[in-house]
Amino acid sequence: MTHYVSKKRRPKEDGRFITGRGKFVADIKRPGMTHVAMVQSPVPSARLKSIDTSRALALPGVLDVITGEELAAHTRPHQNALDTPEVVVYPMAVDRVRFAGEWVAAVVATSRHIAEDAAELVDVDYELTDFVVDPEQAMLSHAPLVHEAHGSNILLSREFVWGPVDDDAKRSEHKIGFRVRWGRNATVPIETFGVVAQWDEGSGILDIWASIQMPSYAESIAAMLDIPLNTVRAHYDVDVGGSYGVKRGLKHTIVAAYLSRKHGVPVRYIEDRLENMTGGEMHGPDRIFDMTVAFDDDGTINSLGIVAIDDAGANSSRGPLQLGKPVSAICGPYRINSVYYHAISVATNKSGQSAVRGFGQSPTNVAIEACVDRVARFLNLDRLEVRRRNLVKKDEFPWRIPSGSSYDSGDYLAVVEKAVSLSELGTMGARVEQARSQGLLSGIGVVTTLEPGGGNSSFEPLLNPKNTTTTWPESCVVKMDRTGLITAMITTSTSGQGHQTLVATIIGEELRVDPDSIRVVHLDTLTGMPGNTPVASRMAIMLGGAASGAAGKLKTRLATIAAHALDTSPDQLELIEGGFRVAVTPAKSITFAELAIIAHREDHRMPANLEPGLQETFVMQVPTGGELPTPDGVVQMYPCYSFACHICRVEIDPATGKTHIPEYVIAHDCGTVINPDIVRGMVIGGAAHGIGAALYEKFEYNEDGQLLTGSFADYLIPSALEIPDIKLDEHCTPSPHTSHGQKGVGEGGYLGAPAAIACAVNDALVPLGLERWELPLRMGELADQIAGGQTLGNLLGP
Amino acid sequence: MKSAPFEYVRPQNLHDVCQLLSDSAIDSRVIAGGQTLVPLMAMRLARPERLVDITHVDELADIVETEDTIRIGACVRQRSAERSPVIHQHLPLLSKALPNVGHQQTRNRGTIGGSICNADPTAEIVLTAVTLGATLNLQSINGPRSVCVTDFLVDAMETSIADNECLVSIDFPKTRTKNSGCGFVEVNARASDYAIVAAAVSLTLDERHEKCTHISACIGGASSVPVMTAETQNSLLGSELTDQEIEAAVSHAARQLTPMDDVHASGMYRKRVAAELLARAIREARDDCRSDRHAH
Repeated sequence: MTHYVSKKRRPKEDGRFITGRGKFVADIKRPGMTHVAMVQSPVPSARLKSIDTSRALALPGVLDVITGEELAAHTRPHQNALDTPEVVVYPMAVDRVRFAGEWVAAVVATSRHIAEDAAELVDVDYELTDFVVDPEQAMLSHAPLVHEAHGSNILLSREFVWGPVDDDAKRSEHKIGFRVRWGRNATVPIETFGVVAQWDEGSGILDIWASIQMPSYAESIAAMLDIPLNTVRAHYDVDVGGSYGVKRGLKHTIVAAYLSRKHGVPVRYIEDRLENMTGGEMHGPDRIFDMTVAFDDDGTINSLGIVAIDDAGANSSRGPLQLGKPVSAICGPYRINSVYYHAISVATNKSGQSAVRGFGQSPTNVAIEACVDRVARFLNLDRLEVRRRNLVKKDEFPWRIPSGSSYDSGDYLAVVEKAVSLSELGTMGARVEQARSQGLLSGIGVVTTLEPGGGNSSFEPLLNPKNTTTTWPESCVVKMDRTGLITAMITTSTSGQGHQTLVATIIGEELRVDPDSIRVVHLDTLTGMPGNTPVASRMAIMLGGAASGAAGKLKTRLATIAAHALDTSPDQLELIEGGFRVAVTPAKSITFAELAIIAHREDHRMPANLEPGLQETFVMQVPTGGELPTPDGVVQMYPCYSFACHICRVEIDPATGKTHIPEYVIAHDCGTVINPDIVRGMVIGGAAHGIGAALYEKFEYNEDGQLLTGSFADYLIPSALEIPDIKLDEHCTPSPHTSHGQKGVGEGGYLGAPAAIACAVNDALVPLGLERWELPLRMGELADQIAGGQTLGNLLGP
Repeated sequence: MKSAPFEYVRPQNLHDVCQLLSDSAIDSRVIAGGQTLVPLMAMRLARPERLVDITHVDELADIVETEDTIRIGACVRQRSAERSPVIHQHLPLLSKALPNVGHQQTRNRGTIGGSICNADPTAEIVLTAVTLGATLNLQSINGPRSVCVTDFLVDAMETSIADNECLVSIDFPKTRTKNSGCGFVEVNARASDYAIVAAAVSLTLDERHEKCTHISACIGGASSVPVMTAETQNSLLGSELTDQEIEAAVSHAARQLTPMDDVHASGMYRKRVAAELLARAIREARDDCRSDRHAH
């Protein structure tokens, strides 16, 4: 029985945002603020012969124009996530450019208009050099090198063998192989990345306000600017207008901070849409999967083989690590005995890669679900039945997969049955036939997918042996003021996840206090406690756990003071709304307000040896983490595994290739729901994001290395009109590892929808004898494939 | 995405507009709803020295019915036209086309004349104007000029308008008779996107609603300007417009098209889909004509 957790309550943040009172980076105004615009390379690969800034500098209102060479002379390069010491990347191009859109020079002026005027006046002499766009061509020995000093375009090539792969292949009755492609897309928030930097010479502090969602932000700034970490104050009370991974403007911040320090003025750089898409390095994974699956006549999948080639583009930052997270759920929700995984990260002359929702799990889920559908089709078995036979059963948890992670809890079959029931799957086939009778293609997708949450980031040491990370803690500070009101402090910014609601709900639950009365504030990186920001579906687990822990410590402190005041012992006390009472004599009670006065002002009523005030800090350790990977790459990564079953039906106009989704159902299990509205928003929003990845969104480069989809006219995001009415059902298998049984939910919709749509479209193509496992399944290409040999000639007839 | 510097003027009458446009010393562009021009300026793909805003010129904002035509002022908002009972009654094809133009929000700003002067090959209003044989009335300091829309359109995003001319109004011949019908079909990746291909059809049947006595069938998005499908039209004149006859007739249509590949669809796609959409639009027009909507 809970008071606030799982109760339908309006999120704390709603009123502020709905009434237009959010505070985003563009709302930050500093006196004398200046503005940056970037000069970007129009070509994918060139030597920079000369950069003439004189015409730009002569424009009234221009403070400065800096080149990559100047910046590099005063900063350190980006840290590589992979062990690639010869890959040296600075925020702006030095000597040569490596992708079209790369920053070549930065103009700072009194207005953004003037900065853009001046950017046009920077004269750059490019000497074109060879380049490579296709990742498989980039792997060839004679390919032009993106980073010459590295000696190869292969940034990472690591093979893993988990379990008896060879034996399983031999004993299996069947083996098939095929290719799956995941197109380069991203999260594309309405708000681009923005930053305001102000170097204060008096205090020696660098203040940063940014639209940031990134672990180790201040640490990276300090390292690159070569200044002590305790001079960097990144403010986390800036609302972030959408992110899901991509708000990592480190290079933007370095440019703004350098300029602010150099000129003693606040500097603002907010990307426009073109800068964001072409030069912001916010593109996500771009993958080729060569899959092999070994299985038996009854549909039992024994072994998976996965060769994943990931096109990292022109940097080697955190993006390639997205090959690592899927190791934690490399079998999906299935009892697969062994896995071969070859993770390959390749540099090309394209925008560098950023983290995107799910951190590589969604592409991998598509590949795994494609395998299951292929197996069922090969054996002429029902696709759902094959899943049922392979799913981990509820009495088998914790279930350890061959790569080392343990799935904490679940009842997958129960969730599947809820989805089957809600979707009326039993009669969906009739609706498929009805659509087919009207000349449409129609098909059903049924997928079962996992969402790892709250991890210890040990994919870092897994893919880079020089990295020794084994934990990603999160903190919360809770204090009760002199009037008995509670304020909680967190060390992160929020990009729409409702962290204030999360923290207030859990503290309210622990202390029997109305969450609406609890203030939640965002500290900055100087005042804050250890934290790793909202990535990897971790905040309900980690920040929720920290809030619970801090509230629990405060409750103990309050109980100690209350027991003293009521002349009893703490274990005789009962928590009631707004205070304590003595369990056996309920008339004896004391309110939090009274206890607050005692703790702050009435030392004579305090227990001996108790420090005054009412404040507690809790730093949450990642459950189940703490071990480095073994030499053969076995490691426990994530404590919690949420599960979802997506069932959808699509209809495709065979002439136009346009896909419509008349039916979409999700049943999911994220353990204990903290706030139902937030979970609902996450799941539906994630599915919408996934539908975009499945059908519309792609950063498409042509063979000249030019981005063809650099604006919203061509990079197509589904609108409300494309997203179906998604029906939801829930199941709750609490996690044994968290404060209230909660698991992660911020990514799950996105981790299921692309697979569901891809499977449904391929089911629709079966009568034509076609298949297409290449996302996004855009109408033009799909229709061309359906038309097949039907050329214009035979369309026209003799 | 900040525009290059420009001057902005907002004349109150057509005479002043023409005066301003006649000044050849400065590169002036007329702006009405700005739904294309403003983004182009923001991306610095367009950089006029002066914008002449015509939205405060009252004489450009009316919809006037004459005996044979509906005259739509160049500055009539697309949304106003969409909601106009006069247009609904006399230009049903335009009524069908307009909801496909952008989003309601862009239609609130965008104008009929602006779309035609912009001459986007995929534009629904341009396609409708060609299908219905609209006449454009232009004005310059030297006087008025009228031109058929097909002569006005030169190439993709290019018209025969002179630097000193302003589009004043568009005359659409009235099409609604008790024997007429129309169809408008387009395909796009998302609702409200630019059309990849679109087809517009206006036709008339004989008194008994059996045989086709007139048909105007036009394809947009698959060539630099909308294309009248003369062969298709000829082969359907006098026919009963059976599905089979339509199917056979549209197979000629693709031959005239010179589509481009782009990121959304190949040229082959456009050719194939143009023929299919044309068939759908003809069937829609036929069914529209034969429906009982004319009963009242």
